[in-house]
Amino acid sequence: MGLLSILRKLKSAPDQEVRILLLGLDNAGKTTLLKQLASEDITHITPTQGFNIKSVQSQGFKLNVWDIGGQRKIRPYWRNYFENTDILIYVIDSADRKRFEETGQELAELLDEEKLSGVPVLIFANKQDLLTAAPAAEIAEGLNLHTIRDRVWQIQSCSALTGEGVQDGMNWVCKNVNAKKK
Amino acid sequence: MKLKRFLLRYYPPGIILEYVQGGEVKTKSIDLLDLNVATDVDALVEDIRKAEPLITASRKDQIVHLILRLQEKLCQQVDHKFYLFKVLRAHILPLTNVAFNKSGTCCITGSYDRTCKVWDTASGEELLTLEGHRNVVYAVALNNPYGDKIATGSFDKTCKLWSVNTGKCYYTFRGHTAEIVCLSFNLQSTLVATGSMDTTAKLWDIQNGEEVVTLTGHTAEIIMLSFNTTGDRIITGSFDHTVAVWDVGTGRKMHTLIGHRAGISSAQFNWDCSLIVTGSIDQTCMLWNALTGKRVATLTGHNDEVLDVCFDYTGQHIATASADGTARVYNAETKKCIAKLEGHGGEISKICFNPQGSRILTASSDKTARLWDPQTGQCIQILEGHTDEIFSCVFNYKGNVVLTGSKDNTCRIWR
Repeated sequence: MGLLSILRKLKSAPDQEVRILLLGLDNAGKTTLLKQLASEDITHITPTQGFNIKSVQSQGFKLNVWDIGGQRKIRPYWRNYFENTDILIYVIDSADRKRFEETGQELAELLDEEKLSGVPVLIFANKQDLLTAAPAAEIAEGLNLHTIRDRVWQIQSCSALTGEGVQDGMNWVCKNVNAKKK
Repeated sequence: MKLKRFLLRYYPPGIILEYVQGGEVKTKSIDLLDLNVATDVDALVEDIRKAEPLITASRKDQIVHLILRLQEKLCQQVDHKFYLFKVLRAHILPLTNVAFNKSGTCCITGSYDRTCKVWDTASGEELLTLEGHRNVVYAVALNNPYGDKIATGSFDKTCKLWSVNTGKCYYTFRGHTAEIVCLSFNLQSTLVATGSMDTTAKLWDIQNGEEVVTLTGHTAEIIMLSFNTTGDRIITGSFDHTVAVWDVGTGRKMHTLIGHRAGISSAQFNWDCSLIVTGSIDQTCMLWNALTGKRVATLTGHNDEVLDVCFDYTGQHIATASADGTARVYNAETKKCIAKLEGHGGEISKICFNPQGSRILTASSDKTARLWDPQTGQCIQILEGHTDEIFSCVFNYKGNVVLTGSKDNTCRIWR
């Protein structure tokens, strides 16, 4: 990767390149999702202390996915990465009901960010492989997603571990890349 | 004109003359870039005397003595083994660039955590945290050889000038409309140059904090810049595939170096300002005549993007680093590849010589930094310990301390 590659990914992406920002609380499964997208081994994943970037090809697009660490102390730095974002993917641990309120707040704050205004948002209700996982509909209601009016959005249940639902979500992403990209 | 005294410069070898003219103290330097242990000292002194009227017959013995000292320095064996001395863990997000002051007593680190930290090299103690930027601190520099000021360039589009001693922010340079990704002091320490993703570079006056000039002309992001030794020229490298040579005094573009077929990754003047080397994503390096802007040679061999390129201090050798996982050493005179540095398990993003020119340091995505013999291409040492890729690496002026900055949020001192 190197610093130069980061600069190359930083500049406003040309046509057919999509900048995707992957956010969510710590332990939501962002890095597992990123590695699942890149068809990489997901057996040894540790908390992300900074960020990971991967590029994957999908439906004629080059998706540059930025996975940003979600621990509380580094959440204030999320805005380092907002510039030129085409799609926001927000990942939720559907089995961690105790933190639904916290994750809902973080999402609400993101949707208020000026630099992310109008950016389509995909919410992954992750960890559906766990028996205790809340269904996507319940999460959507709990988070009042229906009140989002300033952008297109979608909630998709998935398991980053098994890969189930991930592709459906990415299909939505490719369909909703801003008109300027097409 | 009256000669006051001589100053010795080890790297690159040279003698500085301090003299008085019209009541003003001035200096000029006699570069001895070709000096080696076999050089005939008496013949060299004769040549110097012929060319330099300030050096009279009575000064001859002094000059001989100075040259002998330089030669002595040159034959000092550099077989220094480095060990991990300190892990600097205070940043909470990945590091970007790192730098030393000239004496190597202090070093600085930039980070995604929006700070620049100043460290005591000997103790590993954090001396200062420079806070104020509102986004990633990407580029950092000290005004060597003085080393009393720090410039930081940020993704927040500003550059800040700080006091090394107190951490006070003297100025915030505003004007760029996109991320600042490269910066440099001139050697005279009167100006800071900043390069930005907004396709322009700007020169700022350190004394009064004002913008001196904006260098406009590139059609894509500027990602590197570099002053020449004398400070009258600056080069900017851009994703628009070109390098521009600018006159510092007027801000006028003197030349555009056109030839690369992809974005520029790196560019540098040699010490005597006669040549410019450029590296590109197009997998090649090119050498250019700095005065005419004409291409002199194309250095080929890498089979992936060239990510960094540099001259040694005397300008006799060029080192190139590539995404193909190898580095190469070229002779700047013959343009021939003299060594291939093989062994890294991932792309090499940074490369530099030690000031003596006897070692090359590389930083790689394989989480290691390595030391190499530029003559033989042999790997001398592998600096292992980082747990993620290394973004930056530098030597101090003495060449006996190495600093590496990594995506693993740490900076390591090796000595």
